[in-house]
Amino acid sequence: MSRRILIIDDEDDIRQVAALSLETVAGWDVIVASSGAQGLLRAAEHQPDAILLDVMMPGMDGPTTFRELRKNPVTAKIPVLLLTAKVQGPDQRRFADLGVEAVLLKPFDPLTLSSQMEKILGWA
Amino acid sequence: MATTPPAVSSSISEALARLWVKFLPEIDARTAVLEAATQALMGGSLSQEQREAAHQAAHKLAGVLGTFGLHRGTDLARQAEVEFAGEVPTGAAGDLAAWVAELRQLIETRK
Repeated sequence: MSRRILIIDDEDDIRQVAALSLETVAGWDVIVASSGAQGLLRAAEHQPDAILLDVMMPGMDGPTTFRELRKNPVTAKIPVLLLTAKVQGPDQRRFADLGVEAVLLKPFDPLTLSSQMEKILGWA
Repeated sequence: MATTPPAVSSSISEALARLWVKFLPEIDARTAVLEAATQALMGGSLSQEQREAAHQAAHKLAGVLGTFGLHRGTDLARQAEVEFAGEVPTGAAGDLAAWVAELRQLIETRK
């Protein structure tokens, strides 16, 4: 089933590899945003099926972006998966406590990212 | 879990190789930040600004290198990230120098 995913990440390399992965392996439609603020606009405009959201971004970081998404009735119910290179347990627990669907670790495997997401989101 | 069809794997590999070339200057620059900070640490002249830049560069490298298949590179960058996270790097500068040198070598080999 075709899905629409929004990737919000300030790092161009991560954005492009994730987009490549989801488009090529899963055949999903991918929208990208390079900042939290741009992500909020894209999410409201495109109503994606899920959002892949980077944690560490300049300006509006991932957790703040997530809270803003939840405040807006238009985007409040979109599942969000956080993407982070922070591997320490306390960081991951703090992120998970926000209420996101899952916390995915960077680096991710481009061949299995979509299946990982499908499993988490119950799309498999 | 479904196995990725060979054609898709091959297509991803080719596209990743193109993206690697595209983003190599950035990866090189981040590694150079680590090298400069390590040199400064060994020379006793590491500034707070330089330490923070090295911490940031190591974090970004840790997040991206494994995505391009350089998992050892991610491990090395994570070690450097931990080392540059504190106000004063605590480990032996020699270890850091060895990690950064190995990181550089991995990146050069992937080229």
